[in-house]
Amino acid sequence: MSQASLSSFNEDLLRSISASLAEPSWLTDVRLEAFRQFISLPSEKNPLYTKYSRTFDIALDRFKLARDRTEVDFRSFFTGYLTGTESDILLQGNETQVHAELSRDLASKGVNLMSFHDALRQEEGAVRKLVEGRLVKSETDKYAAFVNAFFNCGTFVRVPRGVVLEKPLRKMLLLDSPRTSVIEQTFVIAEEEARLVYLEEQYSKGTPSPAFVASTAEVIARPNSHVDFSSIQLLDDQTTHLSNRGIEVSNDARATMSSLSLGASVSRSRTNFYLNGRGSFAEGFEIFFTDGKQRYDYETNLVHNSPDSTGSTQARGVLKGESQSIFKGMIKIVNAAKNSRSYLAHHAMILERTARSDGVPSLEIDNNEVKATHSASVAQIDEEQLFYLMARGLSPDEAKKMVVLGFFEPVLSRIPIEQTREGARFMIEGKWHEEKRRLVDRETLLAATGELTPEVKESEDIFERHYKYR
Amino acid sequence: MQLEIKELHASVEGKEILKGVNLTIGQGETHALMGPNGSGKSTLAYTVMGHPKYQVTSGEILIDRENIVGLAPDKRVKKGLFLAFQYPVSVQGVSMFSFLRAAYNNSRPAGSEPPTIFEFKEVVAEKLKMLSMNDSFLNRYLNEGFSGGEKKRAEILQMALMQPKFAVLDETDSGLDIDALRIVAEGINRVSGPQTGSLLITHYQRILKYVKPQFVHVMFEGRIIESGGEELSRLLEEKGYTWIKGYREEEQVPPQTGQTL
Ligand SMILES: Nc1ncnc2c1ncn2[C@@H]1O[C@H](COP(=O)(O)OP(=O)(O)OP(=O)(O)O)[C@@H](O)[C@H]1O
Ligand SMILES: [Mg+2]
Repeated sequence: MSQASLSSFNEDLLRSISASLAEPSWLTDVRLEAFRQFISLPSEKNPLYTKYSRTFDIALDRFKLARDRTEVDFRSFFTGYLTGTESDILLQGNETQVHAELSRDLASKGVNLMSFHDALRQEEGAVRKLVEGRLVKSETDKYAAFVNAFFNCGTFVRVPRGVVLEKPLRKMLLLDSPRTSVIEQTFVIAEEEARLVYLEEQYSKGTPSPAFVASTAEVIARPNSHVDFSSIQLLDDQTTHLSNRGIEVSNDARATMSSLSLGASVSRSRTNFYLNGRGSFAEGFEIFFTDGKQRYDYETNLVHNSPDSTGSTQARGVLKGESQSIFKGMIKIVNAAKNSRSYLAHHAMILERTARSDGVPSLEIDNNEVKATHSASVAQIDEEQLFYLMARGLSPDEAKKMVVLGFFEPVLSRIPIEQTREGARFMIEGKWHEEKRRLVDRETLLAATGELTPEVKESEDIFERHYKYR
Repeated sequence: MQLEIKELHASVEGKEILKGVNLTIGQGETHALMGPNGSGKSTLAYTVMGHPKYQVTSGEILIDRENIVGLAPDKRVKKGLFLAFQYPVSVQGVSMFSFLRAAYNNSRPAGSEPPTIFEFKEVVAEKLKMLSMNDSFLNRYLNEGFSGGEKKRAEILQMALMQPKFAVLDETDSGLDIDALRIVAEGINRVSGPQTGSLLITHYQRILKYVKPQFVHVMFEGRIIESGGEELSRLLEEKGYTWIKGYREEEQVPPQTGQTL
């Protein structure tokens, strides 16, 4: 018998989760198939990356998973950040949805913002189709299989055809239980010509025992739709973070994924963009700032399956202390995807010699009429820049902070969601001062800081700047 | 108040570059420092400002009789020191506006209330105008993509905001076109009042037409080997450095120069 089946994450647990959520039998079967994959898959499938996998290993057996219905105190955790009058918001404490507020206007337009299991009860047929055709397939990754087998909660977001949302839909998770972890599935669907912005935030209260937040996200941008997804991870240093995301972009649709990661002890994330429609556009932003002994293991792939598609992913990270990161990225352009353009970048700044970062970009291109480039660097903070700033009166710490915050800007300033962009600056600066902050809106930010960082907009086209082919 | 450099020896990466520099700059005085490439002028500038790579092995740098050799650069700024860099560094992602504001706030007397963002905007607008600079500079990253001349102008903009007591201007005139040279020179004059002492490092006499030095010094192989009045710069321009070197080697005093330090 393999080791995994002996662990607490076994078939009995799977069946009890499925039963307690009153799931139909087809879904239990889907979970069982995922469980078989979970047991048989190695933690790293790609031979290119296996040499790094030890550093970022995850011992799932350390974690507990029990139902925990204790009330989570959002109010005190978000004092000064949430007024309680927000709408178009979903609050989740541990695995339980505690508050969902959708404005009447959006509800009347048929917008969904609800738990996965509510959606399952309302529209079993449609949900089944999504689950069975999902992008984050169990056979592709051990931890995708893990979530597909053991998820204990989920979120379902859908904007119907032609409906354009002006403001973000927001989902906040707060983990504060010593007895359980969160394993969740998220579906975000923009139907044809729909427009949606989704903000996902993950916080934990400083759980006394090791916990994890494991998730999959399916983002589907139907033809001519536009989805901006942003994900903010601020878990505490007892928490392990696992994420698997698949983003499918159809004809002339547009999808962006902006991630800010500051928390967790170990974070492992896989993001796959599938540019499946002619003229599709996808853009990814990975911003991270680590300290202490944090370990981040990130992978983003741009898969161009259609002609005239445009994809890019830019990762930028700063590492302090003894933290470590690896960023793996692949551009894959199939033969049919002519006239596609793709760009992949990873730039990291090391603040202490004890920190370490690696970038492993690669290209797999089967059509000559494309533009594909990658750029990567890992560098120490520049002493000459620090001296220049100190010669203008900045203390060593202020000078460092200015260079570090500046390092993020060229990528940060391109994030399309204002609240994420401005909030990210605020939270990164918070981490610099070793204080935990939360995502805020512009008004709260102004009230807290008195002013906003002036933005420099570089209108440059990254494909013009990096025109080197292969 | 004086900036005094006494028997200063400094090395970089174990190699001695400054070999006993003596120089005293009083408030209200303008000194020009000339000398061939590689003679140690920028090394002196960096050492005075406290660049961590430049180690003072002996000697003193005094402001108002206080030795500043052990102080970090930001602490020297608080003593009233300023350096306009020969090669200003660019910093991606840091907006010129945020940078100037930080520089302004950090060079103000301790205890004084920092200006609001609006007050600061007014202050900086006035200085920009003085240097004929477009305010679009404020929305760019620090020195990033600036032309050589724009960088030099931006250095003087910083000086104007920081209002130092002693300024070292390292080849601020290099790379400026004719109009820019005049604008920058006028800027320097306007910023440096009777309270400011400045050391103008230059290769050319042309800036000295606008910014009149009372003293001209010549640096050679890590030492100041000659000092005189303005006429020394004219002689140098005519005859070159080999001329002055020749005089020194023959232990002769060049004609028409008075004072030697
Ligand atoms: N960081 C450094 N590392 C190694 N050598 C250095 C460094 N800085 C200065 N030097 C050396 O010190 C000597 C003096 O250089 P410095 O830049 O002070 O000359 P300078 O008089 O300013 O010349 P220029 O007129 O060309 O600006 C040179 O030989 C130079 O190569
Ligand atoms: Mg020089």
